[in-house]
Amino acid sequence: MSIRVDPNIAPDLLSALNLDQQQQNTALEQLSTGQAVNQLSDNPAAAADVVFTHIESSQDDQYLQNISDLTSQLQTADSTLSSVTTAVNQAISLGVEGANGNLTASDQQAIASQVTGVLNQVLSLANQTYNGVYLFAGTNSTTQPFVLDSTQPDGVLYNGNDAVNSIDISNGNSIAINVPGSQLFTNPSGDLIGSLNALVTALQTNGDVGTAVTNLQTAFSEFSTQRVFYSNALQQLSSTQTFLNSDKTQAASQENALIGADMAAAATNLSQSTTAVNALLSATNQILSTLNLLDYLR
Amino acid sequence: MGSLYGALSIATGALEADQGAAEITSNNIANVNTPGYSREQVNLSENAPVQVGNLLFGDGVSLQPTTSIRDNLLQQQIDQENQSAGQLSAFLGPMNQVQTLFNETSGSGLQAPLTAFFNSFTQLSGNPSDSSLRQSVITAGQNLATAFQQDASSLESLQSNTDLGVQQTVSQINTLTSQIAALNVQVTSLISAGQDGGALEDQRSQLVQQLSGLINVSQADAGNGGITLTTSGGAALVVGGQSFALSTQVNPSTTFHDVYSQGADITSTITSGTLGGQLQVRDQEIPSILTKLNTLAYNLATSVNTQSEAGFDANGKAGVAFFTAPTSLASAASSISVAISDPDLVAASSDGTAGSNGNAQALANLQNQTIVDGQTPADYYSGLIFQIGNDVSQANSEQTSVGLVQQQLQDQQGAVSSVSLDEEAVNLIQFQGAYEASANVVSTVNSLLTTLIDMMYETT
Repeated sequence: MSIRVDPNIAPDLLSALNLDQQQQNTALEQLSTGQAVNQLSDNPAAAADVVFTHIESSQDDQYLQNISDLTSQLQTADSTLSSVTTAVNQAISLGVEGANGNLTASDQQAIASQVTGVLNQVLSLANQTYNGVYLFAGTNSTTQPFVLDSTQPDGVLYNGNDAVNSIDISNGNSIAINVPGSQLFTNPSGDLIGSLNALVTALQTNGDVGTAVTNLQTAFSEFSTQRVFYSNALQQLSSTQTFLNSDKTQAASQENALIGADMAAAATNLSQSTTAVNALLSATNQILSTLNLLDYLR
Repeated sequence: MGSLYGALSIATGALEADQGAAEITSNNIANVNTPGYSREQVNLSENAPVQVGNLLFGDGVSLQPTTSIRDNLLQQQIDQENQSAGQLSAFLGPMNQVQTLFNETSGSGLQAPLTAFFNSFTQLSGNPSDSSLRQSVITAGQNLATAFQQDASSLESLQSNTDLGVQQTVSQINTLTSQIAALNVQVTSLISAGQDGGALEDQRSQLVQQLSGLINVSQADAGNGGITLTTSGGAALVVGGQSFALSTQVNPSTTFHDVYSQGADITSTITSGTLGGQLQVRDQEIPSILTKLNTLAYNLATSVNTQSEAGFDANGKAGVAFFTAPTSLASAASSISVAISDPDLVAASSDGTAGSNGNAQALANLQNQTIVDGQTPADYYSGLIFQIGNDVSQANSEQTSVGLVQQQLQDQQGAVSSVSLDEEAVNLIQFQGAYEASANVVSTVNSLLTTLIDMMYETT
């Protein structure tokens, strides 16, 4: 006796059709989303890794935004300090002129009032704000840092503090973003505002203008040393910005490697599975409409 | 010595047998598409011979009870696979919803609000005295809390829906077992009377097949065509004509329904079938995901609070808790919320001055610290994503392989039990031929008898 085969093949045909249609759907989904992994279960390890690439690119965006805000803040600070440089240079020339013993008293008073103008200008530059925040007040940046006060030995009261803020500009990389005003303008190694004050006093009282000018020059060179911080920081920001942009590209390409679809393969799969579905449909039609022996009983 | 009447009676018997055979064939053809129908075989047997003097004469043919062609072992294997298939599909239904909830590949899930929350601190550190940035920290915190709450509540509602499913499955099981018990009695009485269980056995095995999709069933032969059904844990379901209904009772500690058989809690012994899959989702899978979600929420809230309290707010006052302190680990994800609404209360400062950003930095840096079970929040969350994806992926591939085995077994069973129209056509032709031949015998005997009667007529 021959082996009996299952005479009812409809369920097999249906499940084969189902399988081909599933492949068709998968290919279509990949083509429409551009992703090979559309559910966690499609590739659990890639789905778990993509959490990190998403975090990385989102953090990069945030760091880039911080850097762009920070860049304009530091540029404001730097150009403020550059104005200070110009002003102080002018005060030094005035001082050198004032140290000339041949000047009349009224000439000296005129020079004194010009230096006072410079002093006020420097003072107002030292109180420069950016977005409502005092740039040279340490972290006590909501209070005006420098106020003229004749009771102070150098004639100015510093309301700020000596603290420095640091900011993360990329993962694990932070930079200091300010130099406290006390280091820039009233530094014990060279007190810029104090020596300007002293120069004014010396000119007004016909004191030792020469020493006052020398002291101002010392203070100015200290100031210039401190000031370099800002251009260094700006340089660091710009190089970090370049790094972050390439890191973002890197994260995007990594994400694509993890869950992106091979579009060419997906398109091929789609056309293959469509062909398979069509072939199977026409085969099913033929098989199911095939005559059996009963059709021949007449 | 034989007789004409003997021949006539044999032919009549043959006509009846062939009619019966045609009827059985017709029944097979009629049921060609009936699910669960096993083809019936025509059983013809030779009648006992009659002895006349020294001679034995055959006494024709008679139709015996039909035999349904089925392979019980194959049927049990199909039932077995049904249990796995039922379990996997009950597992995958809700779990597919869970993985959609956390679908990081399309950007839904907790990663986005979590990163946005830490980023808001990074942004605040750039300008700590800006009150709009302070406000956006609070907003980001609220978004994160809402995301936690939504995930937790979606998981909990999936869990309670599955619990409802457990109760429905139990009532389906009870309906099936009582029907099987009734059929069991009928089949046993037919078999005891020497008949074929036929249609009733077909019905019963269809019901057992359905039942095995719902719960893990062990089947034993109880003799005389009867079967005994127990769960594989040993709880009786059907014994002879009696069915034992399962019941459900609320477990006060989980607030979900446990399954009882005759007073005993058998919940933990149910491992397959729809019920097994539902229990697996309700009692193991979702609780495990919820625990991880709660652990993440709890540790995050606690660490952010501790760091906030170490800093100072915009007015130089000591920092206060950012999140409402979670009361317990078990409710952390569903109850997490932002405790402060005044932007000034965000503790960004590390030294009490409004311009200090030290604490905002420290808060942003929590994302790189191992604050959740020895892992960073991202590592921990990514582990959860892997777990969900992996569990679903495993169940998917098991489902595919179980489906293939099922199909294979169905094919084998079809080869044994399905009606082949060609085969039935051949049988029909055979029975038709035999019927025509017997009818010719009757006609021939008739003419012989006529000859005999005519002979007698001529004599008189």
